[in-house]
Amino acid sequence: MAARVLMQCVRSLARPSLRLCSANLTVRAAAVSSTAPHRSLSFAGDSARTRWLDQTRISSLSVSCRQYGDLPPLTLGGIQERVMYVLKLYDKINPEKLQVSSHFMKDLGLDSLDQVEIIMAMEDEFGFEIPDAEAEKLMSPDEIVQYIADKKDVYE
Amino acid sequence: MNMVVSRLPPAALSLKQFLQRQRVLGLYRNMLRTIKQVPDAADQKYLRDWARDEFKRNKTATNPDAIRMMITQANNHLEELQTSLALAR
Repeated sequence: MAARVLMQCVRSLARPSLRLCSANLTVRAAAVSSTAPHRSLSFAGDSARTRWLDQTRISSLSVSCRQYGDLPPLTLGGIQERVMYVLKLYDKINPEKLQVSSHFMKDLGLDSLDQVEIIMAMEDEFGFEIPDAEAEKLMSPDEIVQYIADKKDVYE
Repeated sequence: MNMVVSRLPPAALSLKQFLQRQRVLGLYRNMLRTIKQVPDAADQKYLRDWARDEFKRNKTATNPDAIRMMITQANNHLEELQTSLALAR
């Protein structure tokens, strides 16, 4: 009889919307099965759990993708957008004159100190360090995009 | 008789100047990285503006000894900042 109650509990847990993450449900199922005594009940709990885990696994096919705590993948267009956005926010750059191919020193009239600041802003934006030797060669937004795509293995 | 003419453009730096320039830029980068660790946002902005002004003001200096003095000064400032940050943590 206790097994029947357990089955009902598990079924009622399995009914709520698919938006609940499965981790939440497994925690609850673990709590439910731990309160019941071992052997036969835990066996019943396991089979019930695997049954609705299968259900959630099948239903998870309707979810488009699963991100296990990682950022969405970078694309060339996305990188370029972010680079141009960061550059537009920089106070020494005139946003109207800014093009993807504009040279920092020749077209935009910046100097090497400004270029250091720009590269540091890019490091902040993309979350990885750019070594000095390679940083001083990046003289236009296009080169920055190419470098980041190269480092982050983005091909298109 | 053919004389060997230097193919470098007239504005090119000598090796020493080039190395000094690299040192200054590396110093500026380290300064900015250290300043980023300052906890207070207003302090950070103040320090960043101060560093920017200092470096820009002396941008046109040409005397290598003066430049070396300024590099040493900046290094001292940087070390001071780093020790204060380490103590404050």
